[in-house]
Amino acid sequence: MPSIAGSKSSPLASNAVTVAKSGEIRSGGDATPRKRRLRSNSADDDGPIAPTPSPGPISPTKWKSPRRCANGSPNLIDKSRELLLKKLSNSFFDKPNWNPRDMKQVSAVKEALHVSTAPYTVVCREDEQKRVLEFCKGCVELEKAGSLYVCGCPGTGKSLSMERVKESLVEWAEEAGFQAPDVLAINCTSLSKTSEIFSKILGEDQPRKKTKSSTSPLQHLQNLYSQKQQSTSVKMMLIIADELDYLITKDRAVLHDLFMLTTYPFSRCILIGIANAIDLADRFLPRLQSLNCKPMVVTFRAYSKDQMIMILQKRLMALPYTVFQLQALELCARKVAAASGDMRKALCICRSAIEMLETELRESERNLDFSSAEFGHSDQQSTPACDLIKQDIYIVRVEHMAIALSKTYRSPIVDTIQSLPQHQQIILCSAVKLFHGGKKDATIGELSKSYLDICKLLLIPPLGIMELSNMCRVLGDQGLLKLGQAREDKLRRVTLKVDEADIAFALQGVRVFRNCLHAG
Amino acid sequence: MGRENLAGEALILLRSRLCNPKFVFSPFSDSADSNYSKLKFILSSSVTEACNNSVLLLGPRGCGKNAVLELVIEDLLKEYPDMISVIKLNGLLHSDDNCAVKEIARQLCVEHQLLFSKMVSFDDNTQFMIGMLRECGLAHKTVMFVLDEFDLFAQGKQRLLYCLLDAMQSVTSQAVVIGVSCRLDADQLLEKRVRSRFSHRKLLFLPPSKEDLQRLIKHILVLPTDSSLPHDYVVEFNAKLLNILAKERFKQIIDTLSNSDSTCSNLLRFLFSAVCHMDLKSGFLLIENFKAALSSIQRQPKLEGLKDCSILELYMLVCMWRLEVREQDSYNFNSVMKEYRSIHDSFQTSDYYARNVCLRAFEHLLERELISFMDHRGHNQSTEFRPAKLLISYHELYQGLKSYRSCPAILQKLIDRER
Repeated sequence: MPSIAGSKSSPLASNAVTVAKSGEIRSGGDATPRKRRLRSNSADDDGPIAPTPSPGPISPTKWKSPRRCANGSPNLIDKSRELLLKKLSNSFFDKPNWNPRDMKQVSAVKEALHVSTAPYTVVCREDEQKRVLEFCKGCVELEKAGSLYVCGCPGTGKSLSMERVKESLVEWAEEAGFQAPDVLAINCTSLSKTSEIFSKILGEDQPRKKTKSSTSPLQHLQNLYSQKQQSTSVKMMLIIADELDYLITKDRAVLHDLFMLTTYPFSRCILIGIANAIDLADRFLPRLQSLNCKPMVVTFRAYSKDQMIMILQKRLMALPYTVFQLQALELCARKVAAASGDMRKALCICRSAIEMLETELRESERNLDFSSAEFGHSDQQSTPACDLIKQDIYIVRVEHMAIALSKTYRSPIVDTIQSLPQHQQIILCSAVKLFHGGKKDATIGELSKSYLDICKLLLIPPLGIMELSNMCRVLGDQGLLKLGQAREDKLRRVTLKVDEADIAFALQGVRVFRNCLHAG
Repeated sequence: MGRENLAGEALILLRSRLCNPKFVFSPFSDSADSNYSKLKFILSSSVTEACNNSVLLLGPRGCGKNAVLELVIEDLLKEYPDMISVIKLNGLLHSDDNCAVKEIARQLCVEHQLLFSKMVSFDDNTQFMIGMLRECGLAHKTVMFVLDEFDLFAQGKQRLLYCLLDAMQSVTSQAVVIGVSCRLDADQLLEKRVRSRFSHRKLLFLPPSKEDLQRLIKHILVLPTDSSLPHDYVVEFNAKLLNILAKERFKQIIDTLSNSDSTCSNLLRFLFSAVCHMDLKSGFLLIENFKAALSSIQRQPKLEGLKDCSILELYMLVCMWRLEVREQDSYNFNSVMKEYRSIHDSFQTSDYYARNVCLRAFEHLLERELISFMDHRGHNQSTEFRPAKLLISYHELYQGLKSYRSCPAILQKLIDRER
């Protein structure tokens, strides 16, 4: 195995290099997955380190033409990340399997995968953290104010990275001899009024009654920052405002004033705003551009599949046993990265897969109890062998991950439509037929006519208009229909909220509905 | 005499069973993949492993979501006393953030015997809640938030949901959020920030299938052999009951009931009504009890109104219906009279009455709300000139005429022909 380039050495690499490649604890069947992994990794890699893969045993889909990874980072980092992955996967294989019956192990694994256990180093976000840290360092050195806007989808590690930046900045300032800045980290959802943020910056508690003083906290701050300070050693203040879009009011005044605070000549605050919208700065802070002090924007892009695998493996690295089959992690990362790139979801799905394994264990134990009760003595000799076999298969496999993924991403609509009582299904069918020709909504009276037609077709006695509007209300409660308001029951407007294809799919098992939907 | 007492006792036993959700949903808790066991597994693992979790219970109304949740919480409170505290919020009452936080603080105060003041501000309440969560986390006590009508919490800015779910992301707190909703797309209503923090666990509660319905009925109605009732009475009761349950007619009744509404609560209402119809003298359930219960649940008020009509009023209704069939959108009493006369001319019926008698019949129909005026503006006009419309449908009219005690053949023929 080629050694990793020196600059990128991390504690993980030193751990991995010392592990001998040849030590195989598990059966020979695992050698092929590792080889397959190397080939598929190198297929993505376009560096010279990758050996030329032969098209023999690999499935055609894995052999891709060498191309850049989707996140478009430079080649060198790509390569080293691939190598890091290979190192991790190597060390992954040489640990013993875990014992899911041991409660302590189970809770340790679940804790390692919980969203609230924040790792000490934030992997895959080094660039963004470095940029933010450099910006803050520059501000502290020059004793200048500045503003920064961090944006990205939920679950991409923004708040976590800002926590690390905060700690690193304080450490660096103390080391480098500068005055460590005051830090104020607030979540804007906890403010009952948006203008409270200024009083929080000033450091006062919110008074119950109106302040006696004539200046509002905002004016106070503005005055403070417009005059030269008497003492030269006033500390800088680092303000981290999470969920910044809660400060957006109709006239956008509060957000504007907050960012304008950094433009005053003697301002001492470094403002970092975190939100989800990429164009918040453009849309809501146009005046800042004219003043030429638009905040610097750092985008946290959604995690790619490789990044997710790396993060998951890093979390599992600390455990002394293997919990997941590598393909299972890969499947999870692939699916979640394709859907949203949200790390929380990936962690949640991994924990869900562990629970699938636990339920499978309990089922098999119960079955084993039954079968051993039936067969009695003869099973005694075979139990040690059975146990050995069982140990091998009790890691989280691809099947468990697939079930966990389908549970998360499946909508309950199809199941619910299939279990609705017959007349409610007929109502949905009649709505589909009514809205076939591009009509978007209809009244309950028109729906009832369509319903009566279908009942005649199916030779089922129809229900009266009162029961029909009751059933429409029940369907509206469940979110399948949308009912409007009107003076009379018959005039209420009805819209379908479910896709027609979903209804057709759900009811395809019943022949009469299928014919009816196709004929219409 | 003794039989009546026995029957009364059996009735009390059956009624108390039907009103006890614990008894009703207990057969569902046996299998490993029932919602009860899944929910119990999720909640108990969160309590024992001290990790935060969130789960959403979805399903149509009356399928037992709250009942199963109550069962699970009761069991957990017995298994882990002093390790769980439950906070219940309802979306109909507490969807406003201020109200919700105040209610959370009040329930926490009651639980831990602290003094609650109504004058505390929103900020202080939030700080109190976060502080309590931290304290409970340190003391290894799990706080369970039960949010009923979860979709109503997802209106507006969703600050409460964000606050609760964000508190669960920190290591210090130990909480479980359980949302109960009848909207299937409740998690699509959440903002993307809130949805990202929610753990996507969903348990779907579906109405029971036909086999499950049969099992449930048997489970509820079969009297236990070890109760205080005499053994032979119980045996005879059960034998007769099982006989009824196997009949085809009974299956038809259940099908008619579940074709419009197959939820558990509807079935329980039906069984309660059937049991109340039990004849105390004989002391056994008969199939007529179930039929009576069905008709009392699926009432047709318009048909009952038709039963009391006179023959002339029926003629009026049929004439109005014929006018409607002929696409005559607005008609008044005069047009109805014309139609009535034309029927008499073509069929030479014996029921031909004078104009003022017919007007009287028309007014009777108006009072009984089988017909009404098109709009309520023309109070100055007399009854004869205001446009009117039918309030019953064709099927109801047809069924009413069929079941009428002495309906003239002419009317039946008129209705039949136009079908």
